Amino acid sequence: MAVVTLDRLSKRYERAHKPAVEEVSLTVADGEFMVLLGPSGCGKTTTLRMVAGLESISSGKLAIDERVVNAVPAKDRDIAMVFQSYALYPHMRVRENLAFGLRRRGVARPEIDQRVKDVAAALGLSELLDRRPHALSGGQRQRVALGRAIVRDPKVFLFDEPLSNLDASLRASTRQEIAKLHRRLEATMIYVTHDQIEAMTLGDRICVMHDGKVAQIGPPLEVYRRPASVFVARFLGSPPMNIVPARLDGTEDRLSALAGGGGFGLDGAVDPARLPADRAVLLGFRPEDVSLASPESGPRAIVQAVELLGAETIVSATLEGGGEIAVRAPRDLVAQPGEPIGLAVPPQALHLFDPATGAAIPRRAS
Amino acid sequence: MEVLRRSALLLALSLYTAFAAGPFVWAAMMSLRTTTEITRDHFALPIPAHFEKFPLAWFSSNYSVYFSNSAMIVLSAVLILTIVGAMAAHCFARYRFRLNRVLYFLIFSTIIFPPQITIIALFQILVQYGLYDTKAGLVAVYVAIQLPLTIYILETFFARIPSDLFDAARMDGYSEWAIFWRVSFPIALPAVATTVILNFILLWNEFLYAVVLITDEANRTLPLGIQRFMGDQLEDTGMIATGLMIAIVPVILVYAFFSEKLIQGMTAGAVK
Repeated sequence: MAVVTLDRLSKRYERAHKPAVEEVSLTVADGEFMVLLGPSGCGKTTTLRMVAGLESISSGKLAIDERVVNAVPAKDRDIAMVFQSYALYPHMRVRENLAFGLRRRGVARPEIDQRVKDVAAALGLSELLDRRPHALSGGQRQRVALGRAIVRDPKVFLFDEPLSNLDASLRASTRQEIAKLHRRLEATMIYVTHDQIEAMTLGDRICVMHDGKVAQIGPPLEVYRRPASVFVARFLGSPPMNIVPARLDGTEDRLSALAGGGGFGLDGAVDPARLPADRAVLLGFRPEDVSLASPESGPRAIVQAVELLGAETIVSATLEGGGEIAVRAPRDLVAQPGEPIGLAVPPQALHLFDPATGAAIPRRAS
Repeated sequence: MEVLRRSALLLALSLYTAFAAGPFVWAAMMSLRTTTEITRDHFALPIPAHFEKFPLAWFSSNYSVYFSNSAMIVLSAVLILTIVGAMAAHCFARYRFRLNRVLYFLIFSTIIFPPQITIIALFQILVQYGLYDTKAGLVAVYVAIQLPLTIYILETFFARIPSDLFDAARMDGYSEWAIFWRVSFPIALPAVATTVILNFILLWNEFLYAVVLITDEANRTLPLGIQRFMGDQLEDTGMIATGLMIAIVPVILVYAFFSEKLIQGMTAGAVK
């Protein structure tokens, strides 16, 4: 097992006007499941490919167990990777696909057979060993791809959006299989995805990437609850966090954020020393933290659309004075478009961001 | 309506088959008749059939030598073409390097020259290198003239192999050399089979380069051998037909052997 350290890792392509990956630093602990999360084009796959050795490193240092491996070719890094397209060798049977990596490493024939058999049994592939990839379903191919990584017993596992080609139900079950696999193998895993559900459920920690840089690293719930920037706040959560312009009002202990024709009480949650001088901020709150109140007093919004999802109801509304918001309401809510609603958000669920940089304004240590 | 449509289709197909297979059947019939019989009636059925003409052509008209020469030269050329062509195509399709497209275009652009333009130069080069009138010389020329097309066909196919497969093989610990032999080449087999058939048929029937670059009786290939039945005054039509039938056997065999792969290659689905 292994510790993977990325130290100011960058990737610049020829003729590109800005780096694809810029000074990414993070340490993946031994046995940790690290998820690289971000929209497409954010550099997460490039980062993963640099770790794999499939992409050269423009600058920075990559170490596995404190050994710098920048110049070590992919084949000698002892890393296994599961590809988005599965990348199964079409001319080989499942058995040969699984054994291919072991053969190159000079593992004895009987041991290869045994390991292939064990992995196939663990993944439910025993019946399929003599089939070729084109005779397998998507889910089966995915399991063969996983098996090919597992059978090698590598130091580090890399996953490049391995579930994105599966349908929704298969995705959920494979996600659980991967989580189980991680618990069983206790291996260091780095997992790239743009799917926040995968990130939240699988990761010990999440590294959110944006524009080739690290936006925030932390345990999933911490990243969700304490986003470091507007980008992270909007990227995690569905519907995403509501972000509206607001102005701070009041004295130190009775601070409130004015928006939607009313004030959201901050109740000392924010350190006044860190507030911008002109007191203009971006106010953020998650749809599920809003409770509906009487529109008579406090912030108000006009309902634009109501989506009945069965378990809950999503209300889209326009805040008085401008700004679109979403509210996750109980399923029995009755609301009509055009109707006014009052909004109440507990102070600890409010987030303030600097409008210039988008960075979160830190809360007062509690 | 349906019946009418099908009959029209059947008629068209029959006409085309007759058009395509007719000359072949005619030559096959002539191969079993003597020249005298053929002169008397061009299109008569081969009754009685003179099967003895085949051993006669093979043994007394030196066909065994021509045949083995052809086999040796064409098989060597096709083997070299397949290996070198596949390697080159793999590199052009897979590696980004400076002048990749320029080199590719340069190689491919040589097919625009008709053989008549290059043949005098080739003749001189072969003479200078002591390769004129040798089997090795003809093999070298055959490889040179067929390589561009081979690379072109294979490059298109190699480029369609998803690069994830190469990455996966690299992660599995294989060198670039091993990846070519154990991943690229086997996956590209349908395309390779196509080039094998194509090159084999073209070179097996090749006449112009052979007639210019080979003079020695011991090095002659089959098409030159068949030509020997054409005199200035007299053509031994019956023996030419027999020679053609002998010459065509390997082509049919090669095609039968590789055609399954060829069809696989054409119907695709081989990669995904």
